[in-house]
Amino acid sequence: MPTFATIRLALRTLWRNPLRTVLMMLGVAIGVASLTTLTSVGEATKRQTLAEFKNMVGTFDVVNISPGGGRTRGMPSLTTVEPTLKFTDATAIAQQVPGVAQVAEVQNAFDIDVKYRENTTASAMYGISANWLQMHSYFVAAGNLISPDDIQSLARIAVIGPDVQRDLFPNEDPVGKQIRIGNVPFQVKGVLESRGAGPGGSSLDNIVFIPVTTASKRLFNRDYLTTITAQLKDPDDPQPVIEAITSLLRERHGIVPPGEDDFTLSNPRAAAMQVSDVRSTLTTILAGTAAIATLIGGTVIMGLMLVAVSERRREIGVRRAVGATRGDVLRQFLVEAALVSALGGLVGVSLGVGMAVLLAVQRALVPVIVWPTVGAALLLSIAIGLVFGLQPAWKAARIDPIDALRS
Amino acid sequence: MIEIEHLQKTYQRGDGTPVMALQDVSCVIADGEFVTIRGASGTGKSTLMNIIGCLDTPTAGAYRLSGEDVSGYSDQQRSRVRNQRIGFIFQSFNLLARTTATENVELPSLYRGESVDRDKARALLARVGLADRSEHFIAELSGGEQQRVAIARALMNDPPLLLADEPTGNLDSASGEQIMALLTELHAEGRTIVLVTHDEEVAAYAQRELLIRDGMIATDRAQPALHAVRNAG
Repeated sequence: MPTFATIRLALRTLWRNPLRTVLMMLGVAIGVASLTTLTSVGEATKRQTLAEFKNMVGTFDVVNISPGGGRTRGMPSLTTVEPTLKFTDATAIAQQVPGVAQVAEVQNAFDIDVKYRENTTASAMYGISANWLQMHSYFVAAGNLISPDDIQSLARIAVIGPDVQRDLFPNEDPVGKQIRIGNVPFQVKGVLESRGAGPGGSSLDNIVFIPVTTASKRLFNRDYLTTITAQLKDPDDPQPVIEAITSLLRERHGIVPPGEDDFTLSNPRAAAMQVSDVRSTLTTILAGTAAIATLIGGTVIMGLMLVAVSERRREIGVRRAVGATRGDVLRQFLVEAALVSALGGLVGVSLGVGMAVLLAVQRALVPVIVWPTVGAALLLSIAIGLVFGLQPAWKAARIDPIDALRS
Repeated sequence: MIEIEHLQKTYQRGDGTPVMALQDVSCVIADGEFVTIRGASGTGKSTLMNIIGCLDTPTAGAYRLSGEDVSGYSDQQRSRVRNQRIGFIFQSFNLLARTTATENVELPSLYRGESVDRDKARALLARVGLADRSEHFIAELSGGEQQRVAIARALMNDPPLLLADEPTGNLDSASGEQIMALLTELHAEGRTIVLVTHDEEVAAYAQRELLIRDGMIATDRAQPALHAVRNAG
C-alpha cells in the first residue's frame, strides 16, 4: 500500500474517531505546549536579564581589573579597596598585553556631596579617563563628554547624570554652570542620557563623571585606581588576555608563588551568564518535567492504541483477507500513532506559542520563541508516536486473520 | 484450477493436544466450476476453505493454484494471492462499519498498490443493484445490501476465484435467494466459485458437491440436473 494512501487512511480513521483522537493527542499536546512555553519564557527572561546587566555595565567586551584578591565585596570604591592598583599598571597593560585594544582608568567613590547654590545632592563620583564613557556606551543629552585635553589639563569639568540634573538644576540648563564637589568648584560640561534602572532596580543616573587626573590630584588626592577596564580585541576569547594581565600584574607587584593575586579580574559577560544561568537551571528542570509529561503522553497513545487494536480485530481481519500484508497492518497503525502524536505536537506548539506571547506581554518582556526547541518538540512528538505506537502496531500485525474474521 | 493432494491440517489446542482438522483431502476443481463444500460444523470444511483462500497453510500435502504451489508461500506472497486471485464472501459480511459502501469496495485495490479506481467501485455497486447506496455507511444498509457490497468488493480486483463461506447464513430467505442468484450469474460469466455451507438447499445451486466428514471428503458428486433446472429458472 502506497505511503500516501496509508497516511490518508490514518487521517480518515482519526477523523472518524474524534473522541479517541482528542484523548490520544491530549498528553502530547500538553507536554509540548509546556515545553514551548517554558523554554520561550525562560529565554525571554534570560535575554531581559542580560539586557539589564549590559545596560548597567555598558559593555560586555572588556576585562575589569579591581584591587584586592577577591576579598572586597560589592562595587569597588576608594574607601574600600586596597591601594595596590596604580596608574602605571594601566599604562603597562595598554602597552604590553597584545589582546587589549585600549585601557580605561577609574577612580570612584560613592555618596559624594555635590552642590549648586542652595541645592545639594549626594551621588556616585567617577574619575575616568577620556575613553571610558564611549567604551561603556554613554551619550550626552546636552553639552559634551570628557575629552583627552580635559585629562591632560586636569580640567575641573564634570559630566552629570540626569538624576543629578533633576536635583540640582530643577529649572535651568546645567551646561556651563559651576557646581561644587566637596569644596572644589567644577564646571558642568555635559548632561548624560538616562540609562534607567539596573537589574536591582536602583537608578543608574545618580552619577557624576570627572577627569580621572582631576579626581586623583585635585579632589581625592589618591594615587591608586579602583578599576582598570581593558577592552578586548576579540570579545569572544577573553581567557588569553586574562592570563596575560594576571602574569603581568603579578610580576609588577612582585608576587611569587605561593603568594596570591592582590587584584581580581572579571569578565562582565561571564558574570552576566552566571546570573542568567542560575535562572535557566530552573527553566531546564521545568522543561525536563514537561518532556517527561510528553513521554507520559506517549504512554497514553500506547494504551489507547492497544485498546483500539483489540476493538479493531475484525477490521484487521478484513484488511488481511483482501490482501493486506502484516507489514501493511503494521504501517497503518504506526502511521496512525505517529500522526496523532504529531498532530498533538502541532496543537501543543500553537498553544505553547500563544501562551509564551501572552505571558511575555503580561510580564513586559519581549516575546521570544525558541524555534529550534519548537522544532525539536515536534520531532519529539513524532518520535514518541513511532516508539509508543510500535508495540500496538506489532500486536495488530500479528493478529491471525482467521481468528479475527471469526470473532 | 485448484489442485489439492493429500492435504493435512493439525492444530494445537490451547492445552497443547493436537487436533486433526483435515486428515487427507485430495481434489481438483477446474476453472469455471461452481462447487460446494458441505458438511456439519467441526468437520473441517472451514479449515479447507481457509487453506484454499490462502488465509491458512496446510501441515502436510500440496495445494496448487493455477499450477503454482502456494502451500509454502510466505505471508506476503499469500497476501498477494488473496489480493489478486481470490474474492472472499463471508457469512457475517465482514465490511468496515464506519466506512461507506464505495470505500469498502475499493479496499482490495488499495492493497494492490495501484491508484484507487472509484468509478470502477461505483460500477460494481451498480452491478449488484446498489447504485443509489454507494455513499451510504455500512450501518445504514440492510443485511442483504451489505452482502451485495461484499460481493462487489470481492470483484474489485477481478479475481478468477470467489470463495463464499455460508453467504446466506445471516440473511432472510428472500435476500439469500438474491445473493445466490448473483453468484449463479457470476459463475455463468466464467468465474470459479467455491461455496462452503451446511445448507443442502444452498448447496443445490452448485454443479458439484464435496461432502466433508471427519476431515476427509466423504462424497464427491456432480449435480447436473438440479443446476440445469436452476439455470433454466
